Order: sequence, then structure tokens, then C-alpha cells
Amino acid sequence: MSDQLSSTFAALADPTRRAILARLALGETSVTELAEPFQMSMPAVSKHLKVLERAGLIARGREAQWRPCRLEAAPLKTIAEWVEEYRRFWEESFDRLGDYLAQIQNSNPQYKEKTDASGNK
Amino acid sequence: MLQETSSPVAERELRASRLFKAPRPLVYKMWTEAEHIAKWWGPRGFTTTIQAMDVRPGGEWRFILHGPDGTDYPNHTVYEELAPPERLVLRHVSWPHHRMHIDFTEAEGGTRVKVHMVFESEADFQKVVLEYKADKGLRENLDRLEEHIASL
Repeated sequence: MSDQLSSTFAALADPTRRAILARLALGETSVTELAEPFQMSMPAVSKHLKVLERAGLIARGREAQWRPCRLEAAPLKTIAEWVEEYRRFWEESFDRLGDYLAQIQNSNPQYKEKTDASGNK
Repeated sequence: MLQETSSPVAERELRASRLFKAPRPLVYKMWTEAEHIAKWWGPRGFTTTIQAMDVRPGGEWRFILHGPDGTDYPNHTVYEELAPPERLVLRHVSWPHHRMHIDFTEAEGGTRVKVHMVFESEADFQKVVLEYKADKGLRENLDRLEEHIASL
């Protein structure tokens, strides 16, 4: 999963590729249609599509002429879940630390009095 | 206890901050003494077994997080910087590689702790996470996408 994640990150680091994904979130489309709003050459667009495809972010149809591109959601979901895990880690660790601090300060009154060297209360 | 952390804005950013109603040296101590950190580290329902905790620059902190479902998550971390009671920098050696910068500042009502996690693929990661937030259109699409996936 770690390799998948880093290639997803690398693929998403480019604004054009994110714009391509945003377009594809609306529905599958052809490479020609995709290239239009970006004022890029077809080879340049194809290059971006290859990166996205390797990262598993898009899939391309095998129909000879049209080869429609469509978004593949799984890696994006992995990122969202991954970030959420960290958010939850800190949120809940901080809750527990707050509870724990209250608890030890109540049972050890000397902790309450202790201030920093700078003397701020 | 003062509750105020991770506004929804920070949803996708790996920074966390909280004001604790306690003096700074005490809050700092909670991070650098095994008997204390084991009591609160990890999400609710998790427990922590400390295997090694050598609190000095270059020293190792090895611990296992035990998930509520019985899964064990071994962690290997190295202390990079210790500046009590202001700052602590930890390098996470096991995957995903990152540094944790933890700043302790005196604030009205107690001590503010700010955690900033910097991933090794920092440039990529930050770009993605930060620009994700900025790129509202894409984010909305992603939200819809997620809903869609959930409904499958």
C-alpha cells in the first residue's frame, strides 16, 4: 500500500493532472475532449494520462479509436482514509492527554502550582 | 478541560493543535516519560506498550500500539531534538517516514501544543493535501465520489 500511496501522491502533485481528474469526476470522456480546455498538445496530455494510469487513478477503455478515460476512485479513497486516520489519532490522543492531565493535577496538587521558568501563570 | 482542536479546516492537513489547561513543564513531561505517555498516546480504545524509551537526541523510542480489534502496530521513532519545555522533534523511522515537530507554547489558560507532521515525500504530500483543500471543485467531486463508493 505504501508504494501505491506514494505513486498516487506523485501523480496528484501536478495541477494539470488534478484538473484532469476533476473533469473525469463528471464522467468518462475521450482524450481529445480532455485535451481541449488545457491548450496542450495531445502527446503532453497523453503523458499526464499515463502517469495517472500508472498510479491507478484512471482507467482507459480498450476500444481502438475512442479509448475513453474514466476515474478510478480507490486510490483517492485510500488517501482520504489515510489522512483521516492521522486526524483521528491526534484528536483522540489530545482528548486523552487532556483527561489525563486533569486527573494527575487533581491527584497531585503540586503539579498545578508548578510554572515555567518564565514565570507566567 | 479546554476543548479546541483541529477545526474542520484542518481536516486534510497533518497539523494538530490543542490548548491544555496545565503548566508547560508538566505538559512537556507527558511526552517524555514512559509512565505518562503510555496513558494517553493513541486514539481511544488503543493501548501502548513501550519497549524502549531513551529520551535524548539520537535515542530510540520503540512502542507497540494495540488496536481495539487486537491488531498490533509496531512503531520505531528516534528523538531528534529535545528542548524542554518548548520543543520536541521525533523522527518516525517505520513507515510512513515522517518527522513530528511538537511545539509547546505558553498561552492564556495553559499550554498550547502544536504538532506538525512532515512526511518524507513532503513536497508531494503537502502539495496534495493543501491544494486539495484549495481546489474546491475537485474536493466536492471527491466527496461525491466517496459517497458514491460508499453506496455501492
